Amino acid sequence: MASPDRPLIVFVGQPNSGKSTLFNAISGYRAQTANFPGTTVTHTHSEVYVGGQIIRIVDLPGTYSLNPADPAEKAALAHLFQEPPDLIINVIDASLLGRSLELTLELLEMEQPLVVALNMIDLAEKKGIKINREKLENLLGIPVIATVANRGWGIKELISCSLDCLKKRDCRPKAPSWTGDVEKHIQSLAESIPEDFHCVHNRRFTAIKLIEAGETFCHEILKEIRPELMQRVEVVRNQLELLRHLPAFEILAAERHHLALKLFESVAKVERGKRIGLEEKIDSILMHPVLGYPGLILIFSLFFFLIFLIGNPLEGILLRPWSWLTAWIQQQSWPSFFLAFMDGLIQGIGGGLAIVLPYFLPLLFLMSFLEDLGYLSRAAFLLDALMHRIGLHGKSVPSFILGFGCNVPAIMSTRILESPRDRFLTSLLIPFIPCSARTAIILAIIAFFLGPWWAMGFYFFQLIIVALVGNLLSLFLKEPSPGLILEIPSLKIPSLKTVFSKVIWQLRSFVQFAWPIIIAGSIGLSFLQLARADIWINWALSPLIKGVLGLPINLGITLIFGFLRKELSLLMMLQALGIEYHSLPEVLTRSQLVVFTAFVSLFIPCLSTFVIIWREISRRAALLSILLNISVATFVAFLLRLII
Amino acid sequence: MAGQLIRLIEAPQGRPLRIVNIIGGHGIRRRLRALGFHPGDLIERNSDALFGGPILVKNLSTEVSVAVGRGIAQKIMVEVVDGQS
Ligand SMILES: Nc1nc2c(ncn2[C@@H]2O[C@H](COP(=O)(O)OP(=O)(O)OP(=O)(O)O)[C@@H](O)[C@H]2O)c(=O)[nH]1
Ligand SMILES: [Mg+2]
Repeated sequence: MASPDRPLIVFVGQPNSGKSTLFNAISGYRAQTANFPGTTVTHTHSEVYVGGQIIRIVDLPGTYSLNPADPAEKAALAHLFQEPPDLIINVIDASLLGRSLELTLELLEMEQPLVVALNMIDLAEKKGIKINREKLENLLGIPVIATVANRGWGIKELISCSLDCLKKRDCRPKAPSWTGDVEKHIQSLAESIPEDFHCVHNRRFTAIKLIEAGETFCHEILKEIRPELMQRVEVVRNQLELLRHLPAFEILAAERHHLALKLFESVAKVERGKRIGLEEKIDSILMHPVLGYPGLILIFSLFFFLIFLIGNPLEGILLRPWSWLTAWIQQQSWPSFFLAFMDGLIQGIGGGLAIVLPYFLPLLFLMSFLEDLGYLSRAAFLLDALMHRIGLHGKSVPSFILGFGCNVPAIMSTRILESPRDRFLTSLLIPFIPCSARTAIILAIIAFFLGPWWAMGFYFFQLIIVALVGNLLSLFLKEPSPGLILEIPSLKIPSLKTVFSKVIWQLRSFVQFAWPIIIAGSIGLSFLQLARADIWINWALSPLIKGVLGLPINLGITLIFGFLRKELSLLMMLQALGIEYHSLPEVLTRSQLVVFTAFVSLFIPCLSTFVIIWREISRRAALLSILLNISVATFVAFLLRLII
Repeated sequence: MAGQLIRLIEAPQGRPLRIVNIIGGHGIRRRLRALGFHPGDLIERNSDALFGGPILVKNLSTEVSVAVGRGIAQKIMVEVVDGQS
């Protein structure tokens, strides 16, 4: 519940309006941002100390209206309705003012303290839209603050205005009233709702929601305690529909639409005939019906080669001190227990630093750039038709692309898919996408020893596997997926500052969560070897490792650890074989290198991915995912062994 | 051709079109409205993805661009508006 000493402020707004960017500008980078409608799928909390007091702020997923359509929107609204905040900050994309005002009008109906952040003023000006802020403030009856979130403009004013609203100023709006007969019907329903039934904020708003929302938790409560009122709702809905010959929800939406249009016309001036900007020129190529496709392939290849071109020399440089240190430790006459510990520690730290990070870092930069540019939704547009072949549509593409960074947020991002079937299928396919850990493995083994073209082929090969598995799965999940409806946000040239803070944020979470697991895993292996327990595990796995895959028995144990973090399989491979990185090709043949890499990268979703599938989709899906990955990996690796 | 009721999928590219009606189920109508596409709005068909992919439509008054699948474009009824306005 909201408490007076730590007031609660939530950010509400349409997708991609800059809520998370604003939130980050106030609390430091901690919420994911990207130029894609539907980046935030869960809420982020923060406490900040401003103006001599602590306030709690919450960033919510974007929502087009207060009638949710997908799980992410539902999460936003559940939060808004169940824990009434002390203040709502409605973030608006000023360059889409006309549409954004429809949600603002809906928020006014709640009659809760409200402040509007008129964000992306820079974009609006570029588009030739001039907005009279004071007039908007007067017409809405609440404060309106102009901001440019990614440059930090207007943040101070927004904070001090919000504090004012919390303390003294009255920022509670009055609900706008609608055309005569519609208003009359709503009022009469509102009056028949008992005073104490505060399902959502106030009686008029409750009445509106009962009429227009499909099934809300209000309906549930009402059915329980006042079944006769439900009938009344039906009656009023029918009366409205007879009046306008439209479904009731459209009548109310049309009311808001007209109000929003009137508001827009009285506060905004649009100058047409502006010059075509750089963004539009780039966009017309990226979205071109023909050029778009070579563009997509070019971007994809460039992505891959850049990571390799930067990561490869970096790895070479960083490996030197590391191998020197490893050699030095092995010469020491320490007690065997301590030696094992130090060896594992250095393998873990050094491996993370010298082998993983060189590829991870450039990948983060490039992903960040593409996300902020707005390429995710463009790829969705271009690849929609292709996705139909595997029983999905373009809206899954952004999740797949995020999967190249890390499978975990990729699976979270499927919350923007309306259909549970699409979520299920997409989440089962994501673990086949080579994430940054697996990219590091592919580049560090295949590209480093066999050359970049081999690695490139390998990468494409993995995508073909995704397609084939998708094809296979969709045979069992026949239900047609509803058509694509996806907003394409305007292309934005990313600012260096946002890209950097995003990379640093992701790097920090790697250092905090992933690296310790890598180090602990390496030390664990050292001890297992010391106790000679690895022999038993290797022996148990040898039918698979030696029999099916034709690899040295010693590699069995690396697979166990690969479940924790995929990188571990790579680092442990060296540890398990007892060799240095550079001498890998002397111990393994080319075919063995390829087979091992393919198997490791496909054979199982890593632990975090497994957990997130379990939590987000179902236990059944998580277990199925493991089964699917093991079978596909074994089959594919065996085939590769025969071919190469 | 002006004034004639056609499906968005049959409409010409690069000319102003007025949405007359959306004949799909409630889900689609709700979604399109929420994205800012209402009956009466002026829109433009901008680009078609290859291989039977989606169609890019832009709302001329709000400048919102949306990609809609062909199945959805079947259900959006429009009329071509004469060039001068
Ligand atoms: N030009 C400009 N870009 C901005 C501004 N504010 C945010 N952006 C960019 O707009 C994009 C969307 O910002 P987000 O903060 O992720 O938007 P959001 O409202 O959280 O979006 P969802 O989580 O999808 O609902 C990002 O690429 C930001 O860098 C602004 O004032 N001006
Ligand atoms: Mg967000």
